[in-house]
Amino acid sequence: MEPKTDWEPRVVGFLCKWCSYAGADLAGTSRKKYPANIRIIRVPCSGRVDPLFILRALRLGFDGVLVSGCHPGDCHYQTGNYRARRRFAITRKILEGMGVEPQRVQASWVSASEGGKFVEVVTGMIDEIKKLGPNELFTDGRKNRKTEK
Amino acid sequence: MEEKTEKLKNEARKLLEKGQVCRIVGFEPGSLKFTTTPLITGEKDELDRLVINPFIVNNLSVYLTGLKGCVAVVAKGCDSRSIVSLIQDNKVNREDVVILGIPCSGIVDLSKIEYLVGKDRDELDDITVANNSITVTVGGEKREFTKSKVLFDNCLGCELPTPREYDILIGEQVAPSPALESGKLKELKDMPPEERWRFWKEEFSRCIRCYACRNVCPACFCNRCFVEETEPQWLLPTPHWQDNLLFQVTRTIHVAGRCTECGECQRACPVGIPLRSMTREMYDLAGELFHYKAGMDKDEEPLLTAYEVEEAENFFG
Ligand code: SF4
Ligand code: SF4
Ligand code: FES
Repeated sequence: MEPKTDWEPRVVGFLCKWCSYAGADLAGTSRKKYPANIRIIRVPCSGRVDPLFILRALRLGFDGVLVSGCHPGDCHYQTGNYRARRRFAITRKILEGMGVEPQRVQASWVSASEGGKFVEVVTGMIDEIKKLGPNELFTDGRKNRKTEK
Repeated sequence: MEEKTEKLKNEARKLLEKGQVCRIVGFEPGSLKFTTTPLITGEKDELDRLVINPFIVNNLSVYLTGLKGCVAVVAKGCDSRSIVSLIQDNKVNREDVVILGIPCSGIVDLSKIEYLVGKDRDELDDITVANNSITVTVGGEKREFTKSKVLFDNCLGCELPTPREYDILIGEQVAPSPALESGKLKELKDMPPEERWRFWKEEFSRCIRCYACRNVCPACFCNRCFVEETEPQWLLPTPHWQDNLLFQVTRTIHVAGRCTECGECQRACPVGIPLRSMTREMYDLAGELFHYKAGMDKDEEPLLTAYEVEEAENFFG
């Protein structure tokens, strides 16, 4: 794949409002820098993330998808993140089996106090995706009407 | 086979007479030679149409959610697993169904036979099934094939030929067969990622989005499927390969832990997409990651509801 010079990855982050979203907020209020490539969608719990969200984001041309929630044992709804983990694991694996680069689909545990970890996770992910290049899985040689300007 | 058919008819009659069930779900001969088709009936004089033979391919458990109890259903090993899975998901009450278990030695794939002998099923005189081989008579001539050549792919590694969950067993227990399957899946695993993606892209370019795969699947029991949602519209209703692929991957994920690998989706697909290569991968993943096998134990928590505190830890950084 040709590394395009003017290309910047776009990644969707589904962040649990109780932990990771607050963690991202903390990163911001403590003036930590993280790549602006991530577009954040707040979800009530990592357990809210239907695998369909992940697939749909890739279909729309996003270069990566991050799912982030409370650490095991800390889910506001007790078990949402454990279930999210099972769902996420099979989703990532089945996509990998079909030929999707696993680096495009990542997950992490980030608590409300881990602004620093959030920065690390996002920076690391964006670096990996920059190496991979743009998501051309669904392009079909045509431009994707909805997402490409 | 005759014996089994007779036993089934007797049992079915008794059940209807005693008023234990309102309907029987089984098989009757189909319109093409050798084929069978589902029979759903509450009439005693229609019971004579019931058959059991090596061509009873369909997974009749798909009807159970719609019939809402008071039924007796014919179930091979794999079908019984689908029923168990429906019980696990509270879609079927165990007390509301009578399972007429059929120990199964594999179902014959007529398309494979047609391909091997180069004749249409209507032109074949006879097909007889022995322990390890199948004899096809065409124009007075007998030809013998090993079972692994003419059974459906999903029968070849069958883990549960005799239903574990049943009320009445029609016939003798059958032991599981060693896995004989090779096929597409292995081939796919050996391909580099880009090629795998291209493979699926090409396959799904043929999909006409008839939804036969979904409709025939006992594990696809949602009243409203995500493909029919309009707010938001998750995917375009027109058959572009991108949306076709999105549909099928999501479906495979949604039925994870319920899919028993019965193979109905692949058989129903009018354009021959090897859907089992995807369902099989998911089946194996459930085993590898979570030691879960669909439809084995009606008291087990379903795959996507259950969890362990310590598992799959490497997926979350
Ligand atoms: S996905 Fe296909 S193989 Fe799996 S249970 Fe449904 S119809 Fe059977
Ligand atoms: S049965 Fe085949 S053609 Fe029809 S929707 Fe399913 S994959 Fe597509
Ligand atoms: S509330 Fe944060 S993962 Fe459930």
